[in-house]
Amino acid sequence: MSEGKIVSIHSFRGGTGKSNTTANLAAQIAMMGRRVGVVDTDIQSPGIHVLFGLDDQKMGKTLNDFLHGAATIREVGYSVGEHPAEGQGRAQLKGKQIFLFPSSIKGGEISKILKEGIDFNVLNEGLQTAISEFDLDYLFIDTHPGLNEETLLSIATSDVLIVILRPDNQDLQGTAVTVDIARSLDVPNLLLMVNKALPKHDASAIKAEIESQFDAPVTSVLPLSFDMAENASRDLFSLSYPDHEWSQALKNVVPFILNAK
Amino acid sequence: MIDAVLEKIREADFFQELSDDALAAVAAKATLRKYATGDALMRKGDPADSFHLILEGHLKIVTTDARGDEIIINRVGPGETIGELALVDERPRSAGAIALDNVEALELTKEAFFDLLDHRLDVSLGILRGFSNRLRFSTTYIEKVIDWSQKTAEGDYSFLEHTQPITNRPGTDDDKAAQLLSAFYSMVRRVKAREEGLKQQVEQLTFEIDQERRKKEFEEITGTEFYARLKEQAHTIRKKRQGL
Repeated sequence: MSEGKIVSIHSFRGGTGKSNTTANLAAQIAMMGRRVGVVDTDIQSPGIHVLFGLDDQKMGKTLNDFLHGAATIREVGYSVGEHPAEGQGRAQLKGKQIFLFPSSIKGGEISKILKEGIDFNVLNEGLQTAISEFDLDYLFIDTHPGLNEETLLSIATSDVLIVILRPDNQDLQGTAVTVDIARSLDVPNLLLMVNKALPKHDASAIKAEIESQFDAPVTSVLPLSFDMAENASRDLFSLSYPDHEWSQALKNVVPFILNAK
Repeated sequence: MIDAVLEKIREADFFQELSDDALAAVAAKATLRKYATGDALMRKGDPADSFHLILEGHLKIVTTDARGDEIIINRVGPGETIGELALVDERPRSAGAIALDNVEALELTKEAFFDLLDHRLDVSLGILRGFSNRLRFSTTYIEKVIDWSQKTAEGDYSFLEHTQPITNRPGTDDDKAAQLLSAFYSMVRRVKAREEGLKQQVEQLTFEIDQERRKKEFEEITGTEFYARLKEQAHTIRKKRQGL
């Protein structure tokens, strides 16, 4: 078994920028020469493939195929470095070791998995095989928002769990439950990340308050950015706009992942 | 007409283009009026039959908003004229003028004014120049609003601190530019207040977690058979991985 780490990115509610954060963090770490995988376990509403420029036509075998035993993990892994998509950010991933394990976007495939459920041992075996076969340093998991069964499976198998929240009361309440679950499932590294903080808002005050509420490190406070929202699905924002304040704040999360035990 | 009054007329922006001789002709046609605090020189909707040059004291120029509340769109004082535009375009007063203290003003009726324009080319020309100055002034207003709109869009409200929306320039009761500026100012203040309110709300919200609900939701998730099995499986797998 490889020493690669499983990093799950989760948020209690949708719209926190979870997929964007996952894709950009994975891309940043791949740019540093690490071998990185990205698994979309958001089976109900897959989307991270779009950020890497993988469209329906190019999509081959999916995680769904693996889960029903119709494909191996090796067959599901899509090399982003060999097929860089359009966009000046994505183009930088050319030749990098970054592999995407997409979820099917076909309605029938989605409902099939949801009906049958996912076996923890099968998913875990898939993730471990992805790490060993692709010799990954980090395997990122983009989870479905909320705490449904497939998300709990992802949390249970994680070495690092990053919970993304917006600085509002509803997100804080949901994050509280997620934090408790992560501790109950013995996740060794629990990290928080705040996204969509209002401009001119005191980021250090938010960080201090949330850290004291949850007794877990807040890795970074990312600003609400219209530039980001406008460009998000067209490219990997932190690569195409490396000096933007959102990108700078995202990069602050990277050392927390690299230093996780 | 005494010299002191003539001196005041000479200082008025509206008459600044008039020669001494022309000023004397204006003064000869005007009547001195006195008003106490709270007196109305004119009310919104009144027919425009005269205009005033303020000699002493101050007035507020007022209109009403959609709800009928009074909006002060300007404040005028000595040397300023009110009501001259309405005289020319013959429309009813678009705003009222109320004395804020004891006011002395020279009133020039429509007849006297038109009579002057009819017989004195130098007066007509001087008045035209005055209007032309006003037009330029309105353009400056518009440029200001454009500049402030751009600043507001960028979230820079600093101009609120170091600019003053009330102006002591002439051109008041019909001055739509002044109204626009005033409305713009009040809009930006409200936008700023809303934005600050939103920021505070977010800060307060971060302090509130319903601990009972948190406990209840945690128990709902962890109380299932699925969860118990998952916890056990996760535990086994973690141990196995640590062992390697």
